[in-house]
Amino acid sequence: MSAAAPKGHVQIKDVSVRFGSKGRMTEAASRVSLEVKPGEFVSIIGPSGCGKSTLLNIVAGFIKPSEGKALLDGRPIGGPGADRGVVFQQYSLFPWMTVRKNVEFGLKMKGLGQNQREAAARSLLGMAGLLAFENHYPDQLSGGMKQRVGIVRALATSPQVMLMDEPFGALDSQTRTVMQEILTNMWQQLQLSVLFITHDIEEAIFLSEKVYVMTARPGRIKAEIPIPLPRPRTPEMTASPTFQALVRQLKALIREESLAAMGGELSSGGLQGIDHQFSHDGMNALI
Amino acid sequence: MPATQRLFHDLAPPDARAEVAPARALARPEDMLRPPLPAAAAVASVAAGPAELLWQALRERAPAHLMALASLLGIVLFWHLATTYKLDFYIRFTNIPTPTEVLAKIVEVNASPKFIKNVGMSLRRIFIGFAIATVLGVTLGMLIGRYRLTRNLLFPAMEVFRPIPAIAWVPISIMLWPDNEVSIVFITFIGAFFPILLNTISGVQAVDDVLLRASQCLGARERQIMWYVVLPGAAPQIFTGLAVGMGVAWVSLIAAEMISGQFGIGYFTWEAYSLISYPEIVLGMITIGILGLMCSGLIRFVGKALMPWLAYGSRAGSMR
Repeated sequence: MSAAAPKGHVQIKDVSVRFGSKGRMTEAASRVSLEVKPGEFVSIIGPSGCGKSTLLNIVAGFIKPSEGKALLDGRPIGGPGADRGVVFQQYSLFPWMTVRKNVEFGLKMKGLGQNQREAAARSLLGMAGLLAFENHYPDQLSGGMKQRVGIVRALATSPQVMLMDEPFGALDSQTRTVMQEILTNMWQQLQLSVLFITHDIEEAIFLSEKVYVMTARPGRIKAEIPIPLPRPRTPEMTASPTFQALVRQLKALIREESLAAMGGELSSGGLQGIDHQFSHDGMNALI
Repeated sequence: MPATQRLFHDLAPPDARAEVAPARALARPEDMLRPPLPAAAAVASVAAGPAELLWQALRERAPAHLMALASLLGIVLFWHLATTYKLDFYIRFTNIPTPTEVLAKIVEVNASPKFIKNVGMSLRRIFIGFAIATVLGVTLGMLIGRYRLTRNLLFPAMEVFRPIPAIAWVPISIMLWPDNEVSIVFITFIGAFFPILLNTISGVQAVDDVLLRASQCLGARERQIMWYVVLPGAAPQIFTGLAVGMGVAWVSLIAAEMISGQFGIGYFTWEAYSLISYPEIVLGMITIGILGLMCSGLIRFVGKALMPWLAYGSRAGSMR
């Protein structure tokens, strides 16, 4: 992670993804272009099923785009690798390894010796306040701790890019807020590129330099919103007028898309007979 | 009386109570009426000494153990009564030896090394057959479970052989192998192989996809994924297969020994029947039962030792 040669430049150029065979083809993403500059924290936000995760999986190397190009530092992405750390929505720690062995895993794959691995893992766990749990098994940890270990594990191989797919989606809102703070602090210390998927508007604003809003399926980029909030970000900022204005702006954008996504279902009879005012309120609650 | 009783049924741990008590005493009138709590008494009422813990454990487990013992004693008692009074009520106990006769036989057979040699032979056959079945079953199971090529190539053949019981292999096995010993080990192997294979396959296929993807993102290559992710991920189910396989291996072994054997506990039991030495039949049966129990106990023990994480998970207790 030397400052001299900034790496971790992610580019998605005109990418379309289609699943299924001919005739029953669904398009998950349509002509999407986006960019994460070296050291930038970028979020993608959009209604569920809009293909946010598909884009992340392309960068991770799990999916090949049907059209277009996905580049990391100018080179096409061939497959998954340790230069991109991934934090998954589901808990993905190896249940049979202790916390420390989980963190050591990537280093072990790199061929580092036991002593080096252990030292590196311990120092990272210490930074994350998890050293006391190094010999615990994942099933002994709370959800928030599991995700912290997951982040530490992804960071252990010193990736240039972190890809995070709704990593805090399964956590309660208290833990979530704390995790966001931890993440924003970590990101500032490590200066790496982050591509963050979420459907939580405030989370996206709080963490990011830039937020992409996606449309309902097939996913396209609807808007690219820069977040001009200063660093370091603090929980108090969420009450600031700038923050609140951004929330309103993004809410309006997302709302249109959610309505569009549900519109088909609504008009095709799903909610027929229900008072219009009611369904309108219901939608507001959902958004 | 209610005040003191309530005190001793309070939930707070001893040290927390010492801190909290004064504050609470001011909070509510009824609490104000409580006498200040002597610290020692609080500790004594909550923290249990080793003797108390032992008593507690005894109280929790003793009923289950007692019931188990009672049913065992009941069986022996029935056996004793039925054989002493020669019960003949459609089911005939006239020729069945009594428990005391069998007990006497245990002492008698151990006077010569023959009995122990029979037991040793059976154990050796089990371990060789089972070890080969484990290595082949787990290896093939992992290949079949993970790769479509090996699955398409090998699985249909396995499915053809699977329904054939190990005992049905006895005649062919005798013709196939140069000596009797090898053919018995082969029968044992056949018995253990299929449960191990099938459980390994399904264990491999059940490994959570997100763990496979996570390992790829951490730079693991295929061979490393197999060794560090697929194998431990499938391990709980592999051990289920081993436990089932061990049971079937014993069934197959005893049958093979009875049909074609020389030495071995199955041979001992069948020979006792031919020689009309009835107590030895029962002794053979009991020995087979105990050996089988010990072998599956060993597998459970190894499983627990190799998979300590299962003690904590949602699947905790699946290896019981």
